Amino acid sequence: MKLPAKAPEPNSENTPFFDGARQGRLVLPRCGDCGFVIWFPRQICPECSSQDVSWFEASGKGSIYSCTVTRRIPGGWGKVTPFVLAYVELEEGPRVMTNIVDCDPEHVSIGDRVEAVFEEATNRDGESGPPLLRFRVREG
Amino acid sequence: MASHGIKDQVAIIGMGCTPFGEHWDKGADDMLIDAAHEAYASAGVKQDDIDAFWLGTMGSGVSGLTLSKPLQIDYKPVSRLENMCATGSEAFRNACYAVASGAYDVVMAIGVEKLKDSGYSGLTGSKPPSDGTDSSLTAPATFSLLAPAYAHKNGLDDETMKEVLTRIAWKNHKNGALNPRAQFRKEVAKETIAGSPLVAGPLGIFDCSGVSDGSAAAVIVRAEDAHRYTDKPLYVKALSFSSGPATGALDPSYDYTTFREVRASAEEAYKQAGIDDPRSQIAMAEVHDCFTPTELVLMEDLGFAEEGTAWKEALNGAFDLDGDLPVNPDGGLKSFGHPIGASGLRMLFECWLQLRGEAPPERQIESDKTLGLTHNLGGQPGACVSFVSVVGSELG
Repeated sequence: MKLPAKAPEPNSENTPFFDGARQGRLVLPRCGDCGFVIWFPRQICPECSSQDVSWFEASGKGSIYSCTVTRRIPGGWGKVTPFVLAYVELEEGPRVMTNIVDCDPEHVSIGDRVEAVFEEATNRDGESGPPLLRFRVREG
Repeated sequence: MASHGIKDQVAIIGMGCTPFGEHWDKGADDMLIDAAHEAYASAGVKQDDIDAFWLGTMGSGVSGLTLSKPLQIDYKPVSRLENMCATGSEAFRNACYAVASGAYDVVMAIGVEKLKDSGYSGLTGSKPPSDGTDSSLTAPATFSLLAPAYAHKNGLDDETMKEVLTRIAWKNHKNGALNPRAQFRKEVAKETIAGSPLVAGPLGIFDCSGVSDGSAAAVIVRAEDAHRYTDKPLYVKALSFSSGPATGALDPSYDYTTFREVRASAEEAYKQAGIDDPRSQIAMAEVHDCFTPTELVLMEDLGFAEEGTAWKEALNGAFDLDGDLPVNPDGGLKSFGHPIGASGLRMLFECWLQLRGEAPPERQIESDKTLGLTHNLGGQPGACVSFVSVVGSELG
């Protein structure tokens, strides 16, 4: 079953990320001064405060750093239990909190290799918005 | 620029604590009245003797009116504080400072939370509307992440980790069974705990603290005045608070096996109280066991166990009621329940009973040590606030 997907509201600091998301590409910011790959997307480096930030297409690949299967939760999420919440460590370094989708929650574990998927999302008026970054287990 | 502490400058002279639980017949007003009047009677004071009040509640009301209306307080100062699950401790901390400053002679710290009857079981959200990017993260889910991280770091297999968590829940239920004010007053078999329906990750229902209603209160005066009211005051040795940068979820160097905020607040409290070995110097501790892995990790963060050994110590019974350092002798959040604004003061209530030798005989700790510790946490791993107090039955 599809997880709830409420559309994010992009701002001027993260436009390249959401433009990429609309095309199914994971576009991340990187610091031009110290090389740090920044998560969450923004126009300033949290490591060295540099504003020399450029955007590049990341591999979309990573592995599960940790995960937890949620079985009880109120509201709309309660209709899709059990579901997997995970920290995914991207090949480029950042650790992203996300959901693992298209999976059997009983068989998702730490270390599993995953890849980015972008899931359709709608805003409160029911209109389609920027898609959400989630991950699925990668074969092989 | 420095933190100085107020060791031995103020003392608790009376406390009250309602039973915690599902009080379908009581509102926050009723519980505040019950806790306040029990504290007045305990201290031998009348409401008119109290010069100022600090009320802690996360969601059961705003402003001082939440207290002054049910108590019909005659135009005295009432502050209302909120600091997530550490709200009750925050009310106590600020009330103590007001007395230490000389501004008031007699003050009350009181906390309350009414979680049942709200149409929703548990804490309701108080955050601004979401921009849609937040995750589907519940409180049990975020604390469940401590378990695989701790197990991995210390080489425990899943089965052993579950056994450790189960042992902690079993211990706190066993203690709660001896506490007539606790929400859950039954021992629970380890098989029942381990086999209970899962909530998030390895955490079953019995790994989670009780959702409850309740209130607790303390009357505080200058230490030099304490013996006018009681032969057995409880002196405040240390009060510390730490609020972190909340970057854990975005910080690859944070590994979910510790609370940096707890380490900071513990270090500060031990400095204030003059403690260099908490394990051997403290008679008992009340800690924030919101979920079983929290209590496990806290044993190392608070310096009660060497790094990587808390799981062994827990299995060996070091923190049992008759162990080397009893932890949560009143049943903790697990069994006593967790009415947010009241919990920090409830922890002090157990110190009040234990260090004065007034706990029910079946759970009274026999010790020649005179210090008790309370630890109260708000938030989640990687983004939390932490409070530590040390109280003692003797000066110096």
